[in-house]
Amino acid sequence: MPNLFRSIIFVMTSLFMMSVATPALSADETTFADYKYVLQISDMDPSKQVLVLNNAANLLEAYPPGAVKVEIVAYGPGLRLLFAENVNAQRVDSLSQSGVRFSACNNTLQGMTKQLGYKPKLNPDAVVVPGGVVRIGDLERKGYAYIRP
Amino acid sequence: MGDKKLFKRTLIGAALALGFAATNPASAYDWLMIQGTEPAAASVPAHVFGFVQAGFMKDYSSANPNAGPAAAPSLPNSYVPPKMLGPNLNAQSGFNVSHAQVGVRGTGFPLDDHINYFVLMEAGNTGLNNTSTGKSGPVLTDASVTLNYIKGARVRVGLFKTPGSDEAMQSTIATTYMDFSEVTNQLLLERYPNAVYTNNILPQTQAQLQASGLPLNGFTKPVGGFRDSGIQVFNSFDMGKDWSLTYAAMVGQGSGIELGNLDGKYDTYLYLATEKNLASTGPEDGLKFYVWSQSGKRLADITNDGVANPQLYKRDRSGLGVHYLAKPYRVSFEYITADGMIFEGPDKPSYYFAVPANAANVVNNGVTQKGNGWYLDGGWYIPGTKWELDARYDTVALNTGGVDEHKFTKTTLGVQYNFNPKAHVTLNYELRDFKCTASTTFCTNANKNLTGVGNKVGMQVTTAF
Repeated sequence: MPNLFRSIIFVMTSLFMMSVATPALSADETTFADYKYVLQISDMDPSKQVLVLNNAANLLEAYPPGAVKVEIVAYGPGLRLLFAENVNAQRVDSLSQSGVRFSACNNTLQGMTKQLGYKPKLNPDAVVVPGGVVRIGDLERKGYAYIRP
Repeated sequence: MGDKKLFKRTLIGAALALGFAATNPASAYDWLMIQGTEPAAASVPAHVFGFVQAGFMKDYSSANPNAGPAAAPSLPNSYVPPKMLGPNLNAQSGFNVSHAQVGVRGTGFPLDDHINYFVLMEAGNTGLNNTSTGKSGPVLTDASVTLNYIKGARVRVGLFKTPGSDEAMQSTIATTYMDFSEVTNQLLLERYPNAVYTNNILPQTQAQLQASGLPLNGFTKPVGGFRDSGIQVFNSFDMGKDWSLTYAAMVGQGSGIELGNLDGKYDTYLYLATEKNLASTGPEDGLKFYVWSQSGKRLADITNDGVANPQLYKRDRSGLGVHYLAKPYRVSFEYITADGMIFEGPDKPSYYFAVPANAANVVNNGVTQKGNGWYLDGGWYIPGTKWELDARYDTVALNTGGVDEHKFTKTTLGVQYNFNPKAHVTLNYELRDFKCTASTTFCTNANKNLTGVGNKVGMQVTTAF
């Protein structure tokens, strides 16, 4: 009995350590794509918004459908790309429908909320993540190639 | 929505962020939105931009053939403004920096797109900083703030280009020709009457103009520059199926770039345009239809009685046009009408409205006259090259129905080489035919001045930054 009890504790502890050490991908994040890319947008320069969207579109075109997974992580001034009224909003939507995931940094969002006095409205395609740089790090550990246009 | 349309909108957004210099000139742009707003959530606190346009031009007009009428004698070999190069009107050939503009635009606080600003200064040698008293330094041509708080109704306040003619609204980098069409030059580029009656300046010889410095320009105020200070409500809407609709309504002081209300009255401006996005053929391609009107009053003293007794006269302008760009072809057409305050200067240098009010046949007085004209422009962007060929025919009738109706026609042939989207070199050749057409009797003096208005050739380089 003591051995069984120890085994149960070991298994439970292992499961707990795995869940803490490595944030689990949600079901919709699980990907079987052969190629994975995370693109960072954190610049004030608005031309970088166009560039990162172009990069994402080019990646989708470069591979057969379903073979590539692209995620754009926006934080700092780059979070403006995912504002609802952004001039590129329809392009964001189009890429989202093509499978590109857009992650919005909650740390930046909170900071902007303080500056503006209200919470900026995000593009409905954006998924809020706790931290943009943390998200990038997590994706890199999962084998995503990191690109900063 | 196709990605090409999305790309066009994104490209235009980038063009706005880069000072609308990221695409080729003469495209079907929505100038109202480009010059009044910043791309939402994709702008910077301050973006410095500008234009430099410099070149050489030569006028082949011949001097007035004789000494003029007995009532208003002038020296032989004298000239009137159409025979001289503007804005200085004292030489028939020379180099000029027609634009040296520096501006800054942005959002100030980029997290909040609700407030945009636009400032532009002109330091080149233009009608904006040349008057009868000489040349002034750099002038402020644009300074405005746009408030984007009301859905469907942006509000722009300050000094800026008025909603109207496409040729007037387009930016420097988009210009295909070195000179405006005559209809735009005569009917829309406003010259403001002097505060008191001003005698006509007779045709002058080049020696008189250059040595004595007596100007052919008798106006103490700069030209209007297609601008006014006031408040404008405007916006553009996506109508679906690749169509957009743009409107503008503005109230201004009717004083051009001169801040201040010269006559205590206000001008109204209305504008409506619809454009079909043709991004399938090119990112900036489109088909635009537009209509506009301007209505105001001006003070003018037309009585030579030694008393300052100006009166108010109507100044109405309206137009409609179409602009088509689907590379390699471009076609644009605009028809413009004018009622009141018709500029008489072309054959009478400062004879703006200066004639005794009791003149029997109201010759040479444009305060109550009318005018109309149009231009047709075409361009061919030679595929696979950076070259384009351009041609424009324009015509304007001044004092229509009057005893001294004038007709000016001009054909401009152009070749342009586009080094890149921000720089091009333009070669123009103008064939001009200016005459007074209504009546032999009342056109005699005018045609003595206009006879010999010849062709012009010029080359200029334009760059944006």
